[in-house]
Amino acid sequence: MNVKVRLFAGLKDLVGGPEVFVELGENATLGDLELELGRRYPRLEPLLPSLAFAVEDEYRIRDYVLHDGHEVALIPPISGGTHV
Amino acid sequence: MFDLTDDALDSKPLIEDVQRHGSGALVLFLGVVRDENQGRRVRYLEYEAYPSMAAKEMRKIGEEVLARWPSTHIAMRHRIGRLAVGDTALIVAVSAPHREEAFDACRHAIDRIKEVVPIWKKEVWEDGEAWLGGRPAVQPGDR
Repeated sequence: MNVKVRLFAGLKDLVGGPEVFVELGENATLGDLELELGRRYPRLEPLLPSLAFAVEDEYRIRDYVLHDGHEVALIPPISGGTHV
Repeated sequence: MFDLTDDALDSKPLIEDVQRHGSGALVLFLGVVRDENQGRRVRYLEYEAYPSMAAKEMRKIGEEVLARWPSTHIAMRHRIGRLAVGDTALIVAVSAPHREEAFDACRHAIDRIKEVVPIWKKEVWEDGEAWLGGRPAVQPGDR
């Protein structure tokens, strides 16, 4: 199966763009995707534990089972609002 | 009203959205771009969002607030794109019959926005720039 991975903020520069497509085996989880991303993008790898994952706009844990065509977002530490 | 915009923020539509005949208090929070952060002069900020998810998470915060303070009405709007010093990045408006719940609900909403709404900012200084990371994004089990 194929999933689309969306990247934001500084993560875009680490992988070279705002989205990448990743091919995974059947019944792959977010954890499997995380491992694959770490292999493919060594500069991203050390940051992965600090990221949250969202699938189709919902935060999901690493055990979440992916399906073909899912949109996964890597959510780095949030910095919305202002420093007040 | 729970949304994102590229345009300059105006508090009037948010006030109108939350105001009721029973509103004895209306708390308005504006997050404004400051000219310095951690000792560095800020030229401007660049806000980026995951728009579809950000709007959903803002709506969920609204539901959380209503569950905890049922007599309140709440609206929030976040601006994205390039913001100059003095520009408003975020407005949260909360009305309630009395001030305590309006203040409490507004503060809670702002804290939650900074935890779960996928929006990031890049600070651009005279001599460089950096994406800022706040707290690690909330994990699903934390809800």
